[in-house]
Amino acid sequence: MTVNKRKKPASVNPIKTGQSLGAVLALQGCYRAMPLIHGSQGCSAFPKALLTRHFREPIAVQTSALQEMDVIFDANRNLEEALNIVLSKHRPDIIGIIGTELTDVAGVDYATMLKSYKRERNLRGGLAFSVVLPDFRGSLESGFSGAVEAMIDEMIQQAGHRGSRTVNTRQITLLPGSFLTPADVMELKEMISAFGFEVIAVPDISTSLSGHLLTGFSPLTRGGVPLDSMLQSLQSGLTIAVGASMERPARRLHNALGTPYKVFSGAMGLKASDDLLHFLHQISGEPVPLRYCWQRENLLDSMLDAHFQFAGMSVVTALEPDHLHSVSGWLEELGVEQKALIASYETPVVAGMEREVWIGDMDDAEVLGKDADLWISNSHGMAGAARIGAAFMPAGFPVWNELGAYMSASVGYRGAMDWTNKAGNLLMQREAGHRESSIRHR
Amino acid sequence: MDPVRKVDFDSEACGSQTPKSKPCPRPKPGEAAGGCSFDGAQITLLPIMDAAHLVHGPIACAGNSWESRGTLSSGPSLSQYGFATDLNDSDIIFGGEKKLKESIDYIAGRFAPPAIFVYSTCVTALIGEDMDAVCKEAGDRLGIPVIPVNSPGFVGSKNLGNRLAGDALLQYVIGTGEPEPETPLGVNLIGEYNIAGEMWDIEKLMNSAGISVTSRITGDARYQEITWAHRARVNMVVCSRALLGLAREMESRYGIPFFEGSFYGAKETTYSLRQMAYLMNDREMERRVDRLTEREESRLAQDLRPYRKILKGKKAVLYTGGVKSWSVISALKELGVQVVGVGTNKSTEDDVRRIADRVGDDTEYIPEGGASRILKTVRERKADIMIAGGRNMYVAMKEQIPFIDINQERHKAYAGYEGLLRLAKELTYSLANPIWKLAASSAPWDKEVPYDR
Ligand code: SF4
Repeated sequence: MTVNKRKKPASVNPIKTGQSLGAVLALQGCYRAMPLIHGSQGCSAFPKALLTRHFREPIAVQTSALQEMDVIFDANRNLEEALNIVLSKHRPDIIGIIGTELTDVAGVDYATMLKSYKRERNLRGGLAFSVVLPDFRGSLESGFSGAVEAMIDEMIQQAGHRGSRTVNTRQITLLPGSFLTPADVMELKEMISAFGFEVIAVPDISTSLSGHLLTGFSPLTRGGVPLDSMLQSLQSGLTIAVGASMERPARRLHNALGTPYKVFSGAMGLKASDDLLHFLHQISGEPVPLRYCWQRENLLDSMLDAHFQFAGMSVVTALEPDHLHSVSGWLEELGVEQKALIASYETPVVAGMEREVWIGDMDDAEVLGKDADLWISNSHGMAGAARIGAAFMPAGFPVWNELGAYMSASVGYRGAMDWTNKAGNLLMQREAGHRESSIRHR
Repeated sequence: MDPVRKVDFDSEACGSQTPKSKPCPRPKPGEAAGGCSFDGAQITLLPIMDAAHLVHGPIACAGNSWESRGTLSSGPSLSQYGFATDLNDSDIIFGGEKKLKESIDYIAGRFAPPAIFVYSTCVTALIGEDMDAVCKEAGDRLGIPVIPVNSPGFVGSKNLGNRLAGDALLQYVIGTGEPEPETPLGVNLIGEYNIAGEMWDIEKLMNSAGISVTSRITGDARYQEITWAHRARVNMVVCSRALLGLAREMESRYGIPFFEGSFYGAKETTYSLRQMAYLMNDREMERRVDRLTEREESRLAQDLRPYRKILKGKKAVLYTGGVKSWSVISALKELGVQVVGVGTNKSTEDDVRRIADRVGDDTEYIPEGGASRILKTVRERKADIMIAGGRNMYVAMKEQIPFIDINQERHKAYAGYEGLLRLAKELTYSLANPIWKLAASSAPWDKEVPYDR
């Protein structure tokens, strides 16, 4: 419908994180990878700390550690030094060089530098790519999909088999969007494979950031999709992208290899889950497994149980664009009033939503969501929710006020059921709290 | 222990006030860890709780960092708001000064803060924004202090940022106000950021000894109190090399004597309290301090007894970097914990000297090299526990090593006598948790023994 912006010069309590953080996240889903941020050391230290805080896992990332004079004179000397050290010390399979606003403004050409570096060092067998992600554009979501796109480009280049490939129609490439948790990605992989498909997720944070003790500590990523599986994914007969932001990488595969693709804007709620399962059923010719039929019943039943709780309730939601779209669709099914929807930045998907969407920050959520009963956003929204007296439901990134948030799934029938119950419980607790305080005040 | 004036600081150290004769070590590309100067400046200034803190730059510097620190407030919370000019493409091309000016006006108009701190970041520094001029103009027009903090990330480390923040306080804040006539004058605490509420424990102690805090620079501080910091009688620099310069400058400008101390461990706490009374030159106060510290120490000794029994002979690897290393070592020693490895990555020569004074000969120094290097020491020295910053917490978890968080994101206060008791408890809980045994066990079906039918 319409995209609005409240008129104010400064961002007050931002939702946005930088694009480069999204790229670092994407690379955590690849095995033995090292994201290398081409910028000053703070530009890697902050994302590292924030991702660590959210996932409660060590995060692999390095920096070219630019200082003032390096930026002015020769930033690529630092990059070369960093590459030398990372390659000789850790031997990663995948290196992603992430350009920042600093290298962008200074006009540093590291793509060419990387090309000649690869030629000189004869970097075969590994995957090294670069991507331009200044933080004065986009947010986590665009950084994530941008990095995946660059990674896929490099894979296609390296495999070098334009057109001439043996297509495996039983294999599907899953491109999960940045808003999906490791548990979400796991659930999606299970759903797709339940119809008899091999599925390769690129990237796959479900096996890296889900918390496992298999390999101990490593400075590289532990878990995630290995490089040979990534290259193998080029043979897939179909790409499924979840999140509109993942359409571009899917289109890359289509343009270069002819792989057809299907984009699901999300997989949260009854209708979205129906769409996904129906699609899988149709392309596979397999019946929908019984457990999903059960889960569908379970979801509907829990929605019936919970609908008393949601009657007359209003919600304010502040998230990254794709996530906002997905969550809003689920809220629609709960029949709550959607008081305000706030996205971190504008994308076609939020511009195309039937409801009015605001581009803004947590402060906008606070002002526009005044008197809302429920507040859904990352943990930065906690203070604002408290100020307007709304129950706070953490979602998105970063979440630090809840254990195991990264393992909570919202996709599929079961995810929707869990979230419905969670939201209902929060509202119940809030009501109980109100009753309590009115007794005390009497 | 006689209170003595310590004066032999290593003034060449990175982060100190005097001109650098030795440049800060350059962070190594490909293996650098740690934050930027902007981060450092915010660590020092964000604990001024009632001020607004506006970050001038593209979103990431503020967006990735706001609400990430463990500094607590007892009242106003404006400093917990994340303000950013959030520059976009065209702002970068045409300049962001107009947006900065409007942002300052907006914040002043809507939140009416006593002061606004404005931080430059790499990009705004690179494109040559004249922040000082914008701040000056806005401040004059609005009638509130608008203070530029020129500490963009790429000038150096966090330590340097702490120092640059101190410079901003000296240049724009300290000496611009006066306390109420009746206010008792006492001590400025410099470099104590009220992480997890440590400042409150310290203040309580000082108050029971009759010593008042004049300005908190800056834990749980209010802007006004820093304006009259020049009226204090003593400056204490709490575990902060980077703000030594501030204390030194205040000594030469206002004649305020200073000392360097810590509140980690009973001994250091007692020393610090005594030193305050001594420098205030107040016999009566010294006697009060003596009585208080004796009472507190003997009570603490009682309380600690059961924990000491458990902790005695336990081995720890400590990796905090910088000044905190030596002060935490003292605390651990008092608990009977042996420090078998200690990080010296950000320590100056003087820090290392002090570390050497406190640890045994066979303690390993870990210069740098990140997590892998720390783990190596833990393994080789068969350490029982790792004590480090949040960054390394999950490194330890992946290796199933008990861990205590000691840095600025932590949630436990370890300062003073109470704090030492808390540390003893935390160490004990951590070591005794059943998870270490469980995590090391394998699933029954993974065991070799065949099923016995
Ligand atoms: S290094 Fe510069 S651009 Fe990066 S976070 Fe620090 S101030 Fe911001």
